[in-house]
Amino acid sequence: MNDPFEVDGIPALLAPTTGPMHAGLVFRVGHADEPLARRGITHLIEHLALFSFGVADYHYNGTTGVEHTFFHMQGAEDDIVAFLHGVCAGLHDLPMHRLATEKEILRTEENGRGEGAADALALWRHGARDYGMPGYPEWGLTGLTPDDLRAWTARYFNRQNAALWIAGSGVPAGLELKLPEGTRRPAPTPSSTLPVRPAYFAGGSDVVAWDAVVERGQSTAVFADLLKRSLFRSLRQESGLSYNVHTEYTPRAGGRALLTAVADSLPEKQEAVLGGFVDVLAAARLGRFDPAEVAVVAGRRREELGRAEEAGARLPGQVFNLLDGRPVQSLDEVLAELDTVTRDSVAAVAAAACADGLLMTPGRSEADRAGYTAAPTGSERTVEGATYPALGAPEIRLTVGETGLTLAREDSAVTVLFAECSAVLQWPDGARRFVGHDAIHVQVEPALFPNGPEVIAALDARTLPELRVPMPARGPDRIPRPPAPTPAQRPPNAVERMVIRAIRRVRGR
Amino acid sequence: MLPAMLPRQSNLDPAAAYPKITALRAALDAGDWPACRELLDAAEQAERSYLTAAVADVDGLEDFLRGVLRGDPGDGTAGALLGQYLVEAAWRIRTRARAEHVSREQFVAFRAGLVEAERVLVDAAARSPRDSAIWTARLVTARGLQLGLPEIRRRYGRLAEIDPHHLPGQQQMLQSLCTKWYGDAALTYEFAKEAAAAAPAGAPNPVLLAEAYIEHSEVVTDVDRVRAELREAAMRSVWHPDFRRTHGWVRTMSTFAMAFVLLDDQPAAASLFDALGGLGSRWPWEYLGDPAATIEKFRARAGGNT
Repeated sequence: MNDPFEVDGIPALLAPTTGPMHAGLVFRVGHADEPLARRGITHLIEHLALFSFGVADYHYNGTTGVEHTFFHMQGAEDDIVAFLHGVCAGLHDLPMHRLATEKEILRTEENGRGEGAADALALWRHGARDYGMPGYPEWGLTGLTPDDLRAWTARYFNRQNAALWIAGSGVPAGLELKLPEGTRRPAPTPSSTLPVRPAYFAGGSDVVAWDAVVERGQSTAVFADLLKRSLFRSLRQESGLSYNVHTEYTPRAGGRALLTAVADSLPEKQEAVLGGFVDVLAAARLGRFDPAEVAVVAGRRREELGRAEEAGARLPGQVFNLLDGRPVQSLDEVLAELDTVTRDSVAAVAAAACADGLLMTPGRSEADRAGYTAAPTGSERTVEGATYPALGAPEIRLTVGETGLTLAREDSAVTVLFAECSAVLQWPDGARRFVGHDAIHVQVEPALFPNGPEVIAALDARTLPELRVPMPARGPDRIPRPPAPTPAQRPPNAVERMVIRAIRRVRGR
Repeated sequence: MLPAMLPRQSNLDPAAAYPKITALRAALDAGDWPACRELLDAAEQAERSYLTAAVADVDGLEDFLRGVLRGDPGDGTAGALLGQYLVEAAWRIRTRARAEHVSREQFVAFRAGLVEAERVLVDAAARSPRDSAIWTARLVTARGLQLGLPEIRRRYGRLAEIDPHHLPGQQQMLQSLCTKWYGDAALTYEFAKEAAAAAPAGAPNPVLLAEAYIEHSEVVTDVDRVRAELREAAMRSVWHPDFRRTHGWVRTMSTFAMAFVLLDDQPAAASLFDALGGLGSRWPWEYLGDPAATIEKFRARAGGNT
């Protein structure tokens, strides 16, 4: 890999490789930059910028990540030049006539994606802001206007916020990167919703997952591999409880890295997978590593890094470093750092990671027995104001005050403060969902309160325009109705179900 | 009055047959951890688990053992004993009464105690993954915390890797397999039979069959077959020349005796009462009422020489 240089004022890295050229144009923008009410805007722009290529027979793609968005292509030099020119031109003049169609395509893509454990962890760790965004649907799509997109591209898709990498013989002839002037946009500071760590929440699925944010570095990367080996041994080889076990090391801005570990489970074996999982983490927390295995894992990583260097696969990560204002690390520097990895350095990372850990338990399992504190599922504070008992369930009360709103029953409450609100979903039938920064939400169904429409009007008057998220109409069967009078023994009615959901799955979609 | 007419009660103190318990209690009372370790470390694995459970009710152990662990967090013996102590303390709060006679507050405190025990044992198992006493204690916490059979089996699997014939752990596993917990009579018998068959001749493990029967005697219809099975189990265990009068031998014989009593096999019961002399065990007799009085009643009914 060569030293950084510039192409049209854009910092660039080049790695001499053989075979077809591979190049990527990266911008320092991603999900973490999106306000919840604009969630999906970066992805939409990425799609629109690539529209002009249609079904061209190129190996090209765009990727919207948490901190970075990039366009890359593998092929002949001329094709790469044409591709990058096309991306720059597309960003400059987005094909707005495609807006409705691309929104539809993104909605379909999202429906097929499903909710991953990593996304749920992000939401519970960071809430409804910045690094919690991967946990939310692309709710902003419906309301996004051409002006919104132009403002976003001007802010983020500019020359000062871009970087380029090329794996190949050199800069292809005739390459010009025409991007508007702008400003480098550092990644946001991560928010936290976890008052105590290590923490856990019940994920409701057949998966055990865990993440932690720690200092980045080779010891952290080696720990991720060691953790995978331990989990694999314990959950798959020894007990046959899990089939898929994996861990991931993801460098983040600010010299941090995200560690993630996931193990699947048969529904009836959830508690055993959780048991094995927390035992493995406990051993890691206490530094129970075999120095010989540390050496083996470090040796494998050395080989992988060598192969990655040859293939130019280290380039994207190094370009991210450039955009984050961090020095580019040559292979020799990385290998020198890897040489300093010891059992003790891995143990130090593991201890820090476990202290920061967030565990997603399968089903409704608890993890306090393993030393994890339950992450908040309700609100400590409530607001004062006008109180409305729910129709047919007077123990359920909605309070709307000057500072926010609270939905409460005897033993629990959820509150969203207007000043700490990330988005307000608005359905045509009048329903509103206030999503707080902490990812706790309060849903108000007008049909379930005596003077529902007036309450909604009062709430709307307090909702900042930029937080409003128009939602598609709901079918009549999806709109909760007040309960008919019923005998004593009966299942929960719509009002009670609403509150039960609101309090138990406050952060769900 | 003739001495023979006096109501004679068995000595139910496990220490009566097994003085190591007395020595261990004395060392714990004196706060002499090196002496405790010397005693426990010299014991074979099952004996160590047995001793750990036997002294877990000694007063004031928690502060003492937490102090030991602060000095040496890697002391698996202290971890196992503290875990057992906290489990025992939690059960004292809950009491052994049926669930409907336990208050909500008692249940909350019970669970909190088990959570604390489990946290100690998670760390102990991480530091000493091959300590059978720790995995035995974790079989108890898993049941109390209602973690379910798959997790209990996982824990038993870890124990069996270390010691495949670990009777104290097998007895915990068997309890979890009973109808009253997570399993049924068939699962309990299957486990007991396999463990009994796998154990060496003269080992106490076939007592698991007696326990399986005692736990499910009300559903057994084929009494003759079970009696024959149990006699065979006793032949390979308490009636075998290699049967050793070591840790737990009184409870093993006493359990066989009660199973034979329930099966109305008086000669078999009598032979065991004879062998026990004046010794006995609270468990499993307490299932039938006051253990001392019950033992005497059935000893008299079985006849025999003593």
